[in-house]
Amino acid sequence: MALGTLALGVEAVGCAAFDAGIKGAFGYPGTPSTEGFEFVEAMIHAEPEGRVAQWAANEKVAYDLALGVSYAGHRTLVTMKHVGLNVAMDAYANSALTGVRGGLVLLVADDPGMHSSQNEQDSRRLAKFAWLPVLEPATVQECYDFTWRAFELSEALQVPVMVRLVTRLAHCRAHLVRREVMQPTGLGLAPKETIQDWVLIPSNARRRYVDLLAKQPRMVEALAPMNRLVAGIGRVGVAVAGMGRAYFEQLALEHPELKAMPRLEVAAYPMDPGLEPAFLAQVDEVFVFEEDYPVLEERLTFQRAGRIHGRLDGSLPRTGELTPRLLKEALGLRTADGKSASALDLPIRAPRFCDGCGHVDAYEAMQEALQNLGVPGARVFGDIGCYTLAAQEPMGAIHAVVEMGASISMAVGAAMAGQTPSVAVIGDSTFGHSGLPALLTAADSGVNVTIMILDNRVVGMTGQQPSQALDQVERMVLGMGIPASQVQVLTPLPRQHEANVKAMEAALQHPGPSVVVFRRECIQSIRRGVLKEHDQELKACAEQACCSTEARP
Amino acid sequence: MSEPRIHGIVLGGVGGQGVLSLAQIVLEALRRSGLHALQSEIHGMSQRGGSVHAQVCFSEVPLSSPIIDEGCADLLIALEPLEALRYVAMLRMNGHLVVSEEPQVNMEGYPPLDDVYAALKKVRGCHLVDTEDLARKLNHRQAGGMALLGMASKFLPVSDAVWHDVITERFSAKGARVTEKNIEAFNAGRGLVQEAVGV
Repeated sequence: MALGTLALGVEAVGCAAFDAGIKGAFGYPGTPSTEGFEFVEAMIHAEPEGRVAQWAANEKVAYDLALGVSYAGHRTLVTMKHVGLNVAMDAYANSALTGVRGGLVLLVADDPGMHSSQNEQDSRRLAKFAWLPVLEPATVQECYDFTWRAFELSEALQVPVMVRLVTRLAHCRAHLVRREVMQPTGLGLAPKETIQDWVLIPSNARRRYVDLLAKQPRMVEALAPMNRLVAGIGRVGVAVAGMGRAYFEQLALEHPELKAMPRLEVAAYPMDPGLEPAFLAQVDEVFVFEEDYPVLEERLTFQRAGRIHGRLDGSLPRTGELTPRLLKEALGLRTADGKSASALDLPIRAPRFCDGCGHVDAYEAMQEALQNLGVPGARVFGDIGCYTLAAQEPMGAIHAVVEMGASISMAVGAAMAGQTPSVAVIGDSTFGHSGLPALLTAADSGVNVTIMILDNRVVGMTGQQPSQALDQVERMVLGMGIPASQVQVLTPLPRQHEANVKAMEAALQHPGPSVVVFRRECIQSIRRGVLKEHDQELKACAEQACCSTEARP
Repeated sequence: MSEPRIHGIVLGGVGGQGVLSLAQIVLEALRRSGLHALQSEIHGMSQRGGSVHAQVCFSEVPLSSPIIDEGCADLLIALEPLEALRYVAMLRMNGHLVVSEEPQVNMEGYPPLDDVYAALKKVRGCHLVDTEDLARKLNHRQAGGMALLGMASKFLPVSDAVWHDVITERFSAKGARVTEKNIEAFNAGRGLVQEAVGV
């Protein structure tokens, strides 16, 4: 951080994890969670002392790495975005049953309003699903303080603890006050008599599930100080959580009459089941302000139907991000009269491919090849990364984008259903994330599918983090069982266009699975020199004919 | 007892222009001036030429909301004229706009530039800056952002010394020459508004 002690909300979580003595930090990039890992990674690189920070191939791998650190008796942080938790859900839900040893904190950043995500799912629901605690900070300082608390809770309750942020908090920058740094000190291995707790064969799992449920009252008790009932004047109250709490607090600065309202402030779940009835006894009418799903609102509505205002009764929009304006409108406060918006029609300035991006050349080769083969309208399965921008007009080159790694399996499924040609487009990092098992099935199926791997050598979209598939894509493809004759490596450059079109035509016409790798480094990555050192080492190795040359196919 | 005043600044531009970096300088300068300040930004598309904006809120009391409501911002700093028009309704009636005249045409359907300028000139409190001309005069291609900040500084409760410190620290890694050029651009922008306000 160049400027003093300013930090983003996600960075505050990473900073707290370092200060709380973690041994390892893991994650997979995804907006708005990425900077949380990057922050702690930078701290660890500056002062390793036996600590590790490692991007993982995907969120599940990251979570399992963290679980291993915890099992070995050390504190650990794992970071991901909300949809990343879907990928890690198997590990997360089952680690609730095993429990943890060293404190395990999971940072999840939700994206209400879908600023850069495919949905706006609420991770509080997944924590409840797994019977695990989740803390919900409202300010950057709370991001820091709650993360410390999460480590303490995780070790006291022996369960993973989630810290849930939303985009606005994740990317809110503010001054941060740090505590004294703790050195990583291990708890050692768990005692021998508990050795079966981590082996989830049915006989143990049944017992551990009972244990997990039995821990619930202890969780409620441990979290109780984080939720509070504030008595007030009148019979109209507010229930606030997360950014709803932050927005309401600030609104009350400008409208002191709001300070007198009876309040239920929630910052941690599971919450005391007695809290809501006690609150509802004080009020006849409630406004619920929380970010994303109506979690708190549903609980209150379940207790007492009627006069609970929020997303469910239409007082707030059912979807999208919560804003201070929405609070004002719901509460009937006057909104400001500002300047009038410009009468000029303002066209949207959408994000687009960088000038000179290799993805454009790859898509152009694909589109021309499809045209030449007489199928210009062929439906193409896309994936998640910068190359998703091709879904926009005028390019309109991909026609389905669902989740990480889906393109290959969808194209195989469509091919099985008779679609010809069936094309998948996936980036190198997304391929490493979850395209690999799909390619194994594609090779096994033998169906007519063409898989384009757009290899820009980094995780481009989220800021050119290292791709775990770096320099290995062809070997991975061959290893999954695609015959060498059906693997082509092309350079997406305008001067290669004719050759690339021909290569694509050949791949499309092949009756079985074929893979075309379009490799050219991300131009942002080149500009920043991200791989400069790596490539110099590789070159030196090649000159000396040592190990790494064998790594190249 | 009157309620504390909460101030808001909106910064707008196109991905790659340095909107977020400018916002961080503003945030740090306000904080060093003894104010409580928060910044909100949206990442993800910032390098891909789309619209980018950031908000900075500040007050004499601690704040918890990083978002400025429509009609509540005091100042808009826009690195691009069409982008400036997107945020006009964010401003209070008596709010100010500091806007670069230099268009970034990386999209379909960019309106005629004269229409854009005319729309901006209709907004009271709008200060258009010919950043292109300024950059040429200063022989500093990227002078625009700092010059706008210099002009905007006229509307912010931050001393010259604090601005200079923060800018110096921000660019120190890039060497004394770069720092000097940026301070020069900041001062040039600050000079422009003296003329404007002086009339």
